[in-house]
Amino acid sequence: MSIILDQVTKHYGGVPVVNDVSLDIGDGEFFVLLGPSGSGKSTLLRAIAGLSGVDHGRIALHGRDVTHLTARKRGVGLVFQNYALFRHMTVADNIEFALRVRHVRGKLRRQRRKELLRLVALEGMDERLPAQLSGGQQQRVAVARALAHKPEVLLLDEPFGALDAKIRDELRRTIREVQRELGITTVLVTHDQEEAFAMADRIGIMNLGRLLEVGAPHDLYSRPATRFVATFLGAANLILARRTADGIQVCGTTIAAADRTPAANEHEVVAVVRPEEVELAPARAALTTNYLAGGVVEEVVFTGALERLRVRLDAAAHTPLLAHDGSDDNASELLQVTRTQHEQRGFAVTPGQNVAVGVRRVHVLPTPLSSFTACAASAQLAEALGREPLLVELAARMKTRITTRSEPKMGVAEALCESADFVGTTVIASQTDCAHRSEWLLRRGARDLLVLPAGATAPQRVLIHWMGEAARNATLAMSASVLRHVPAEAVYVGIFPGQAGGRGPHGMRELLDARSEAQAAHGLEMRTEMRFGEVAEELARRLAEAPGQMLIVGVTELTRFAERFRALLDGGQWPVLIVYRGAP
Amino acid sequence: MSFRQASVLPGFGLTFGFTTFFLSTMVLLPLAAMVLAAGSMHWSDFVHVVFSARALGSYRLSFGASFLAASINLVFGFIIAWTLVRYEFPGRKLIDALIDMPFALPTAVSGIALTTVFAQSGWIGRYLEPLGIKVAYTWLGVTLALTLISMPFAVRALQPALLEVQRELEDAAETLGAGRFYVFRRIILPTVLPALLTGFSLSFARAVGEYGSVIFIAGNLPMKTEITPLLIVIHLEQFDYQGAAALGLVMLVMSFTVLFAINLLQAWGRRRHLQAASS
Repeated sequence: MSIILDQVTKHYGGVPVVNDVSLDIGDGEFFVLLGPSGSGKSTLLRAIAGLSGVDHGRIALHGRDVTHLTARKRGVGLVFQNYALFRHMTVADNIEFALRVRHVRGKLRRQRRKELLRLVALEGMDERLPAQLSGGQQQRVAVARALAHKPEVLLLDEPFGALDAKIRDELRRTIREVQRELGITTVLVTHDQEEAFAMADRIGIMNLGRLLEVGAPHDLYSRPATRFVATFLGAANLILARRTADGIQVCGTTIAAADRTPAANEHEVVAVVRPEEVELAPARAALTTNYLAGGVVEEVVFTGALERLRVRLDAAAHTPLLAHDGSDDNASELLQVTRTQHEQRGFAVTPGQNVAVGVRRVHVLPTPLSSFTACAASAQLAEALGREPLLVELAARMKTRITTRSEPKMGVAEALCESADFVGTTVIASQTDCAHRSEWLLRRGARDLLVLPAGATAPQRVLIHWMGEAARNATLAMSASVLRHVPAEAVYVGIFPGQAGGRGPHGMRELLDARSEAQAAHGLEMRTEMRFGEVAEELARRLAEAPGQMLIVGVTELTRFAERFRALLDGGQWPVLIVYRGAP
Repeated sequence: MSFRQASVLPGFGLTFGFTTFFLSTMVLLPLAAMVLAAGSMHWSDFVHVVFSARALGSYRLSFGASFLAASINLVFGFIIAWTLVRYEFPGRKLIDALIDMPFALPTAVSGIALTTVFAQSGWIGRYLEPLGIKVAYTWLGVTLALTLISMPFAVRALQPALLEVQRELEDAAETLGAGRFYVFRRIILPTVLPALLTGFSLSFARAVGEYGSVIFIAGNLPMKTEITPLLIVIHLEQFDYQGAAALGLVMLVMSFTVLFAINLLQAWGRRRHLQAASS
């Protein structure tokens, strides 16, 4: 491995800008770090270059631990967005800079310079000053300069950002060719997904300081694991669907899922439908694919090779479309469609036209967090709960919806639920008899339950614990899903009965197992802590230690639940997300 | 040269006219009058005044101390400007404003303040006395006063230049393997060199012309701590206008020579830059 990052973390003013990033980049690989601005990708690149230190974690280049080495000793080449050429030096002096620093003899320097100028196609420009070159040429000089000392790793920080489209294309090709010719491990940082697709062997997608997913461009595009990646890489329609024994049920139509995982019981999922996987036809019978719903074309935009449409699905279809991008509320009800010239010729549409909508392929996100249902004793209370700031923030970040549900008899022993169908994560307000109400809901079919204190805000730390191995996987998946949308640190709290030291070595192994499973199976980086005592009491004590904490707890057993969880749930000032995976 | 050039401000003719008018009435005309006054002297009188031992001593002190002050300002002005540009710290704005204090104070006030502090019984002077260092009433005091009043020029000339040195340049140099001193010598210094020269010439010019603050701390012993401007005033007090004009002429010529030399140096630097570019 050429570059190894192990739990790299960097804070600015208490906020993690790079949060627990672990990554291996192979020899000669062209790796692209992709993310929106402020996602921490540039900071991570600077950390690899050694220009900014890390608060936690390790960085190794070619098997050498460089975490504490300064930039000048790391042997990397770095190219900046604004070229950062030395303006008072000629092209030749710029390129030879690294060689002069190393006291390389004049003849060898000249030779290397000629070689590099040929590589970036700038022969004969030796004596020019940077000011006399175009932007594209300056960036070529910067690339040549970064390669002069034969670095082991080439780092590119948005190198095409300041160039116009045509030059950008040319330079992209040059850089890719140079990279292939030299076989140098390269990391490129960009916010442009097209650029990432065009250049990368593998792409790593960052958001809120976390590395969300890593994979080949095609895999990430066709099988994203998170809704952020699904919507950030290309356009995507997110639809709330149900996983049933037969497949994916969307608006009453069941579509065989591309990935078949046996579903133990029916539950709500988030389905991704790419705009190019949608088919339009004049009538249901004319569709060659699975019928989704009828709809009305609202907007047609011709963009050359493709046609972009927005289709409003019939209200009768009850299609729970989620917002594609948080900015445009109105768009959440519209299905995005793109069609090729060929499809346009087959069936031309105009705005206002009624069409039948079919879907070729549906991908289901593995995230356990699909939507939220605010549940209270009356519709009014449920409405109020649905406006809680943390809940609204979480839903906005996840681009999902909040529905309401009233349960007038909540907590009344022997009383039945209004409906046994619990959709998504059920949310209840934190109050005095919360533990009792939680048990009541869990016993009646709720699986994921968020207990929310009034006025809670996004946590800085999420504590994770599970009671019983059956809940381990679900708890970790839920934690990973929550932490992808909240810039908080994850801490697994292992709790063992008895006094400190009683089960030292054994407990330690459990903690490490939990950590490595979280990382391997869910891409979740978490710290670990060990405590001793009664579980619920210890968790409550830990939560009371600092403000801004949240708990995600896995539960397999409901016996004496209310009694056991009273300290944790009743009137607590912290949000608690209960993941119940036991016999219904 | 054409007098019809497009610009935001209207009327190149008008503005150019004002510029020449201003320079003529405020700068050139008085200087010409001074040259004329000196020119009306008899040659031997002129030589007698200008090359008297007392005058020679005053030139040495005036130009020597000014040169020293400008050099000190170059180094410490750079450090101050660097600190203000590169670091965020509480009170930065306040310090930035304090830099201009010597501009605003009547120079006599600076002179009196310095004398109070550096006199034998002053706050600092009393500790320097046992070490055998006398500041007030020596050339050291003169240099100190000149350094103080010309410091703002160096700092203000350097600040904008340092702002332009992008951090990225240093980062780039560092990843290429350059150490801090190398980066300073090869990247930062060449970039700010024109500003350094400007800062130097401005503070030198200011120091040569200084009068108010120096006379309080200098002690004004003929041949030892007497600066040329003071000598001119002494001539004036004796109603020897011609002698004063003669000394003034010498100062004019010497200052002009020094400033011109610095300008040539800057122009040479620019040309070298362009030559490298065009060859």
